[in-house]
Parts: sequence; structure tokens; C-alpha cells
Amino acid sequence: MENYRIFDSELEKLTHKVITMCSQVNEQLVDVVLALKTSDLTLARKVISNDEFINNLDVKIDKLCQKIFALQQPVASDLRYIISALKINNDLERIGDHAVNIAKRIEPLQDYKQLIEEFGIDTLGEKTTVLFADVVELVKTHDLAFAEKVMTKAGEIKDECEGIASRILSEMMHQSEVVVVAANILIITNLLDRITSYSTNIAESITFVVDGEIVKHRKHN
Amino acid sequence: MIVDKINTEDMFLYYSSKMALNNISIKIPEKKVTAFIGPSGCGKSTFLRSLNRMNDLIDGVKIEGKVIIDNINIYDKNIDVVTLRKKVGMVFQKSNPFAKSIYENVAYGPKINGIKDKSQLDEIVEMALKNAAIWDEVKDRLGDSALGLSGGQQQRLCIARTLAVNPEIVLMDEPASALDPLSTAKIEELIVQLKENYTIVIVTHNMQQAARISDNTAFFYLGELIEYDRTKKIFTNPDKKQTEDYITGRFG
Repeated sequence: MENYRIFDSELEKLTHKVITMCSQVNEQLVDVVLALKTSDLTLARKVISNDEFINNLDVKIDKLCQKIFALQQPVASDLRYIISALKINNDLERIGDHAVNIAKRIEPLQDYKQLIEEFGIDTLGEKTTVLFADVVELVKTHDLAFAEKVMTKAGEIKDECEGIASRILSEMMHQSEVVVVAANILIITNLLDRITSYSTNIAESITFVVDGEIVKHRKHN
Repeated sequence: MIVDKINTEDMFLYYSSKMALNNISIKIPEKKVTAFIGPSGCGKSTFLRSLNRMNDLIDGVKIEGKVIIDNINIYDKNIDVVTLRKKVGMVFQKSNPFAKSIYENVAYGPKINGIKDKSQLDEIVEMALKNAAIWDEVKDRLGDSALGLSGGQQQRLCIARTLAVNPEIVLMDEPASALDPLSTAKIEELIVQLKENYTIVIVTHNMQQAARISDNTAFFYLGELIEYDRTKKIFTNPDKKQTEDYITGRFG
């Protein structure tokens, strides 16, 4: 016979908050990539100001996890769920910060749309966005097979980031007049690379929730 | 090297026609704390009591299979139960000191085992009380009645009484369930210390207690041993769904 657990309502609250965090960060990411592609400074500013909501939610999730640890003493799958919620929350907050960091670099690049396209940053941004949408789906479904696909896809995007960064560096060496602009584009590439890494972390955390296996530091492609 | 102190093989226990333990095979390592958990009526206390033949005292109990301690089946016909219970001591849920002095409570076992020399008895009593982490609290009033001690102190006195006959295994049936958090913490700390010299098997309903103090945990349900593994594994990622559901409070 199944018992009603006070714990279950706390878990529901936590799940709801983490999903909200996912949706908010997803919106930030979609907006910042669009703002970068279209040089939309209004949209970039919106991303910067929305970060406060994410930061507040981050603190609320941390506090709820602390409360559950202290009052419910979770074990087994419950324990893994709360540990993962904490880590996922942290990763989401960092992705949110990186979206803001990209947004702050859109204004200096507004006259260099062509260069952004040439290096494929707009496409890279879109791929990162699609990857993160998959991560959000994964957080909802806890589908292990899908987690594997997400990690593999993230590995491919990270390879792509590395290739783009090399091309930017090469350009910087040969054309000194583009150094400042190219440095900004390089930073954005690195930020997208970091966002991809955090997406991988989240997929790894979901794997840990489901089967208790720690898969971080493992090669995914 | 880990040595198995207790080893049960295909053990069944019946209360008249009702099967209470169903095919229990388990290896309990020496000088470790092994916890038995499970809902009321799952057979964990019955199994604990069968490790020093306490169930012999109950009418209609029938046991099949083997309970091997140090390579000897304790249910063999030629086994002396008194000697067995000296080797396998027991501490119960409710502390049950005799209505005698603190000293006499601890000296009782050694005395009936033939030790008469006063200085030797003094030494045993002091050592047992020290090992049970209660010496400092009672050393100046060994002649006082044991019934004047607090619940937590009485339970530690009972542990001292068990240790006084120099057992190798100590069975504990819910030893801290009637105690306040501070006394519980003292008993738990004591159990962890005791495993240096003794093999401890403990039945507990307190899941966090099992998690805190035991090296291995066995989960019993409806007379069966469902899962037995390192405590760390049971409480982070158990293999069986029934274990998971029980320790997370989903049933039981």
C-alpha cells in the first residue's frame, strides 16, 4: 500500500520551481541568440533585466532543497533527486548569467552582423538553443536514452565551438584591425561553449537521478 | 580481511504452522555493525533472536536450515545454549536492570560463570562499565540501585552487563527506541566504538540510525530477506524497488 508522504508535496513544489527555472532560462537563451542575430538591442536589454528573476528563483530553489534536507532527511532516489535539483539549479543559473554576458556584447557588435554570420556564431547560437530545449524536455521526462542523445549532441557542439574559436584566432593574427571585434566574438563563442557544458551537466544529473550512476567526466561522443 | 562471523543457510522458522522466516541466507561479517530493518512483523527481531536461540523459549517454534557461528551450527544437538548465549549476548529494547546495585548488575554474569575473586570482579565491572561508556557517570556510586539511573544510563548499564561476560557478538533489539535524542546519540556512539572488539547486529525501526551506525544493512519484508548490502548502497541506490519504497517511506 502506498503511503501519503508530506515529502511528496515538497517534491512537487521543487519540481515545479525547477521547471519554471528551465523555462525562464530557455526564454533568455532564445532571446539572446535572436538579439545577437538581429542586433536587437532592446531584446538584449530585456535579457539583462530578466536575470534578476532567475537569480531570485535560484535562491528559492536552494532554500527549498536545504529545507527538504533538514526536515525530510531524504534517502535513495529522493536523495538523488534533491542533490540533482541543487546541481541543475546551479547549472541553470550559470546558463542564465552567460546569456546576460552575451547580451552585454551585442551592442559593440551591432555593426558586424556579417562577421558574426561568417564565423557561424548565429548558427552556433541556434544549435545551443535547440540543445537547451532538449535539456528542458529531459528535465521533464527523465528519459535516459534521450539523455545520452543530448550528451552526444552537446559533444558535437563543443567540437564546433573549438573549430570556430581556432578560425577566429587565426583571423585575429592575420587582420589586426578586427582584433577588438573578433575578441568579442571569441568570448561569445566561449560563452556558448560553456552553456553547452552546463547542458551536458544537466543531462548527467538526470542520469544520476534515474539510475544512480555518476557519468560526469566521461566522454560522451 | 573480512571474516564472516555468522552465516545462516536456507533458514526457515515457523511459529506452529505459520512461516515467520522464509529461506534466510546471510553472511554477517566480524567486527562490523549489521543493521536489520523492515516494517513491524517482517521477521527481523525473530531472526535476531534466532542468532542466540532465544526463540527456543517460545512454544511451537520450529527451525530449519543452519545458523553457523564460527563454523559451528548453533542448532546442532550437542550445543550448550548457556555457553552460546555467553558468546552471543543480547540487549533489549527496554532496559531491564536487576533491582540490585549498579555493581551487582554487572558482576552478576561473571559471578554465575564462576568468578569469585573480588579484585578480578572489580576489574571486570570497571572494564565493562568503561566499554559501555558509563563508568564516569557511575564510578562514585557503584553501590546505588541501578533503578535510580536514567533510561539512557540503564540501557548502557545493560550493555555493560552484556559485555561483562566477554561475548564476541552483541545482538541489539531496538536498543535506543525508548531513549531521548541525547541518550540515543550516546548509544549510537557506543555501538560504533564497540565494533572494534565485537560483532554487532542491531534491529532498528529508526532508518537514520541504521544509516548512521551500520556498515551493512539487511531489509526484511514478510519473513524474507529482500536485500542485503553495504549501508551506503542501500541508502543511496538500493537494487530492489521494495527496499527503495520502504526506506523512502512509500510503504510500511
